[in-house]
Amino acid sequence: MLGQLIVSGLAVGACYSLLALAMVIIYKTSDVLNFAQGEMAMISTYVAFTLMESHHVPFQWAVILTFLFAILLGASFEFVFLRQAKEPTVLGLIIITLGFEMILMGFAGWKWGPDQRSLDFPVSNIETYNLFGLVMSKINFWTIVISLVLMFILFLFFRYTKVGVAMRATQQNQLAARVMGIRTKWILSFTWAISSMVGAVAGMLIAALGVLDPTMMMDPLLKSFASAVLGGMTSLPGTAVGGAMLGIIENLFGGYVSLAFKSVVAFAVIVLMLCIKPSGLLAKHYVKKV
Amino acid sequence: MLKRDLVLVCLLALAAFLMTTPVSAEQVRGVTDTEILIGQTGPQTGPAAAWGAVARGSGLFFKGINDEGGIHGRKIKYLLRDDGYQPAKTKAIGTEFVEQIGIFGVVGCVGVGPGMSVRDYYTENKVLMVSFGCSGVTNWIQPFNRYIFPVYQLYVDEAKALTRYFYENMKLKKVAVFYQNDDYGKQGLEGVERYEKEKGLKVVATVSAEVTDRDLSSHALKLKESGAEAVVLWAMPTHGALLLAECAKIGYKPQFGTSSTLSDGPLMMSITKGLWAGMINSFPIETPDSNHPLMVKYRAWHQKYEPNERWGTFYYSGCLYAEPLAEGLRRAGRNLTPETFIKAMETIRDWKGAIGAPITFTPTDHQGCKDTRFAQVQPDGSMKILTDWVRITK
Repeated sequence: MLGQLIVSGLAVGACYSLLALAMVIIYKTSDVLNFAQGEMAMISTYVAFTLMESHHVPFQWAVILTFLFAILLGASFEFVFLRQAKEPTVLGLIIITLGFEMILMGFAGWKWGPDQRSLDFPVSNIETYNLFGLVMSKINFWTIVISLVLMFILFLFFRYTKVGVAMRATQQNQLAARVMGIRTKWILSFTWAISSMVGAVAGMLIAALGVLDPTMMMDPLLKSFASAVLGGMTSLPGTAVGGAMLGIIENLFGGYVSLAFKSVVAFAVIVLMLCIKPSGLLAKHYVKKV
Repeated sequence: MLKRDLVLVCLLALAAFLMTTPVSAEQVRGVTDTEILIGQTGPQTGPAAAWGAVARGSGLFFKGINDEGGIHGRKIKYLLRDDGYQPAKTKAIGTEFVEQIGIFGVVGCVGVGPGMSVRDYYTENKVLMVSFGCSGVTNWIQPFNRYIFPVYQLYVDEAKALTRYFYENMKLKKVAVFYQNDDYGKQGLEGVERYEKEKGLKVVATVSAEVTDRDLSSHALKLKESGAEAVVLWAMPTHGALLLAECAKIGYKPQFGTSSTLSDGPLMMSITKGLWAGMINSFPIETPDSNHPLMVKYRAWHQKYEPNERWGTFYYSGCLYAEPLAEGLRRAGRNLTPETFIKAMETIRDWKGAIGAPITFTPTDHQGCKDTRFAQVQPDGSMKILTDWVRITK
């Protein structure tokens, strides 16, 4: 049972990691926690669902079109809402993301209704890979692979590309970055677009693992937030480690201590981590000069 | 002098007018010569919005009734409000219903929490509550309340009867329970435990989940470890789908059984990708394609008034919950007051004029339905009725 609990924990942790990754991308660039991340992913997933279900678009094309939609959604949210805020504080921007979350939730309820839906996915949620008597569903396995690959690509992007470096510079000092010729506004829109696309990947995988409905991201979003805090809000590998650890901790707690309190373990982790190491396991703690 | 007389005459005329038009002051709240005002709160948005279909189904029923001429010359004015399944909102809407709009009664009002937030307020204001809460918790009958007429089968008795069905009809003796950690789920658990205790047995595993939980892998493992041959599932549709998928992954295939709240076969088959087939359901309502004359009529109304609504169990159960209200209004006659309505409702005995179980209300017992049937979900999502009506509540 121990081995299976760990394997299942790793699988669910990969979903947390993916969504945490989307949150961290924005946080790294703008210091803003995006509470609309889950609902943005949910809306993108509904777009994929509608393309496949109502317009009979093949899966691969539906995914590409959904990515385009997600990019547009993220960039336009930054352009239409966040950029228009007058003399915004970080707290003000976070409140705007909360408002956007409510708008998206209401929109999804109105457009697609409250019924649970099933998202067709080419990889089965029930068929499994077996290794030494431990089972993992095919979709769980591919979720882990996808989250690791995405993380690696983003890591390379932030470290070695000009845009990636510009994104990091924008986060550290927007004014200085602008003086150095970086188009910071463009960089912010780009960040939101990339984050929204990563969120869409997470949304589609989470819907394929369970069901698609307007509230499907509420729990994963909170867990991914806990994963990001655990691994470090500014560290990409931290989200992978944080997500995997949280998934395993939750499952072991549920398996051996109490299932009734399994869902609150994530919040205990947040409190503990903020008390012991506020910057998270893998992020470097740095103090901003003022 | 003349001016003073004129004022006096005016005052006398006003007094006479007020005395001769006492109707508005003494008029029964929510009842006019042409209308009866009926309220309903139901989640149209938020996490429980799927149950909001029930409230819209009641709306369909009243549209049909009104088109047939209403009841005793009065049309039903149906006021549906979205409370988002939030008790605080339900309470605010309840106050609006009573103090601003002035309703005669309410029908349905999905949810234990929302219902509990207005139960006592409605009682103080003599608001009739028919099919209240649309749920089988005991909160509507304990303590006895003469203004509430619930019809939903009690969860405790439903779960107990389901366990008995497993034990006696399917010879499954090792039973586990997966339940939602709230009043609804706990009353399901209590029902299973009652039966097991009577038989001198013990529930082999009790596994609970919070409403927001989305990862049920360790829950499925616990159930498998228990070696249960049957699992009684008292949860919401999403958890039903997640649990069955997790059990399938680890190769655990017990016989599942569940309450009437998860009886929308086509929906469940769709979101479980076929894993729901074989589920034993408590199913105290007609099947969607039933040839029952009332179902034929309701389907025609559905096509006429709301063809875009999905004809699912939740939706047409809204008709079932509104039926006893309409019957009470018919029996009360033209002289409609809360008292005449209550007396009329309490004459309903073993009434089979609804699309569900027979209904009985007496002056000392308002639990309307005491029977259920068991059905099995077929691979196409339809229901195969396995039993006749079974008395589950004494």
